[in-house]
Amino acid sequence: MNKRIWAIFLLVAAAVLVWLLAPAPLPERWTESETALISSLSLSALPPLPPDSSNSTADDERAATLGHRLFFDPRLSANGAVSCASCHRPELSFTDGLPIAVGTGPGRRHTPGLIGIAYSPWFYWDGRRDSQWAQALTPLETHFEQGAGRAAIVRLLASDPDYKTMYEEIFGSLPDPARLPESASPLGDEPGRQHWRMLDPDLRFRISSAFANAGKSLAAYQRKLLPGRSRFDDYADAAAIPQGDTHRPGDSLSRDEIAGLDLFIGAAQCVNCHNGPLFTNHDFHNTGILPVLGQLPSVGRFDGVRLARDDPFNCLGEFSDAAPGQCAELRFARFDNELTGAHKTPGLRNVTLTAPYMHTGQMGTLAEVLQHYDEAPTSMLGHNEAKPLGLSSRQLRQLEAFLHSLEAAPAAAAEWLRPPQH
Amino acid sequence: MNCRLPIALTLLLAPVLAWAGEQAEFSVITEGGNHLQISSELSPLAINLMHSWRLRLTDADGAPVTGALFEVLGGMPEHDHGLPTRPEVTAELEPGVYLLQGVRFHMPGRWLFEFGMTLGEDIDGAAIEFEL
Repeated sequence: MNKRIWAIFLLVAAAVLVWLLAPAPLPERWTESETALISSLSLSALPPLPPDSSNSTADDERAATLGHRLFFDPRLSANGAVSCASCHRPELSFTDGLPIAVGTGPGRRHTPGLIGIAYSPWFYWDGRRDSQWAQALTPLETHFEQGAGRAAIVRLLASDPDYKTMYEEIFGSLPDPARLPESASPLGDEPGRQHWRMLDPDLRFRISSAFANAGKSLAAYQRKLLPGRSRFDDYADAAAIPQGDTHRPGDSLSRDEIAGLDLFIGAAQCVNCHNGPLFTNHDFHNTGILPVLGQLPSVGRFDGVRLARDDPFNCLGEFSDAAPGQCAELRFARFDNELTGAHKTPGLRNVTLTAPYMHTGQMGTLAEVLQHYDEAPTSMLGHNEAKPLGLSSRQLRQLEAFLHSLEAAPAAAAEWLRPPQH
Repeated sequence: MNCRLPIALTLLLAPVLAWAGEQAEFSVITEGGNHLQISSELSPLAINLMHSWRLRLTDADGAPVTGALFEVLGGMPEHDHGLPTRPEVTAELEPGVYLLQGVRFHMPGRWLFEFGMTLGEDIDGAAIEFEL
């Protein structure tokens, strides 16, 4: 009797071990719809970067050169020590490796990467900005990021001879620096706001215009940061044959990576949101991410839409170069409770190089992220759109293996990936 | 306007299920017996692109229904979420032909459009489901 119980126990244990560790069966061939999905993820399917109608200098090389210098210049901060590149570090795929950014003070959110982000219609984890240039302006006036304020930025442009020459060649004359206070901004501390209110309205407008142009230059630079081809792209292009074999000699992906791809576009449902060649739909989803200790849960996109609408630098604002009809994303942005707790879907190219993860860096490793999606816990705010997956640990490791196949150096000239050589 | 009941009835009585990809034109008999034909200006349909649709509303005799006020809802019932944008009918381009702007789908799968229509004193409703 005891022997029989032991035998049953061993059989059950063996079955559990097989389920946990055995390779997931890989289909011999991709179906037609799977082939189409795989092709849709390839970098070969990425269209040319669409123009930014709100930024007439978005593709101006001179603006990109100016933006490149501004991006790496710590003088664009209140304490003279924090540049855009302090948090968006080129060697870390333009992230900082920290759970939550640290600028002139402790931040509120995890630093997102910048490679390929120019394709997105929305910026920030909650989409509080609707263009890359409007996004670039925000840290410059946020006290815990760079916090310089717009008057100080324009003073720098007008008083640095190199900046002045570069700027005026593109945008025309800058205000006289002698007329500009050292610190003035409608968003700064109380003395800064008071200085701002005391300025002549015409000068306020000229400062804000020049400030917007600084953002447009920063955006022109960041549009150069495009993703490079990965091993996955080589596989996807080779597999773009109807009913193609899943695994062939000389494949750029291992069997585990291919199995991970099979899960990614199938049972794990990752492709629902991480779709397209950048592995993101650029939209907002509530996936039940818990807040970090000591923070209230973020309402996410619910606040983001309101902030984008109120932003004077948005697509419909007076500093935008777009006609109102070109601002469809902002005009038709959804604004209701369903977006509570929703955050932006990040792209996954180079995701293995940009730990930690989530909007406040709640998860240190990809294994934790995958475990989270496997469990799909109840959301503290709103509802979690994801459903539990019930994947085995082997399958989770295969998914992680697949994500490694998305690593690639950016497709940007080397000079854009380092500080400018003066 | 609460148009869920007529939409539910429409789904039961006159379901239209079409497979998108090549086709981006669907039609349905509305709960009130009108004919609603919708066609995407993006063809084939694709995810992650903002685009417009044309809605053609005719009565049972084929005459255009003019002056209709639309409310457009929808989403992905399988994922328990609505449309990612808030589309609006912004113009009646010609009698009975309306311009629906601000549509973007952000996930592959089955999508549902729900149309609530105010026709003078009457209300009407229709739903169209398709795979993307």
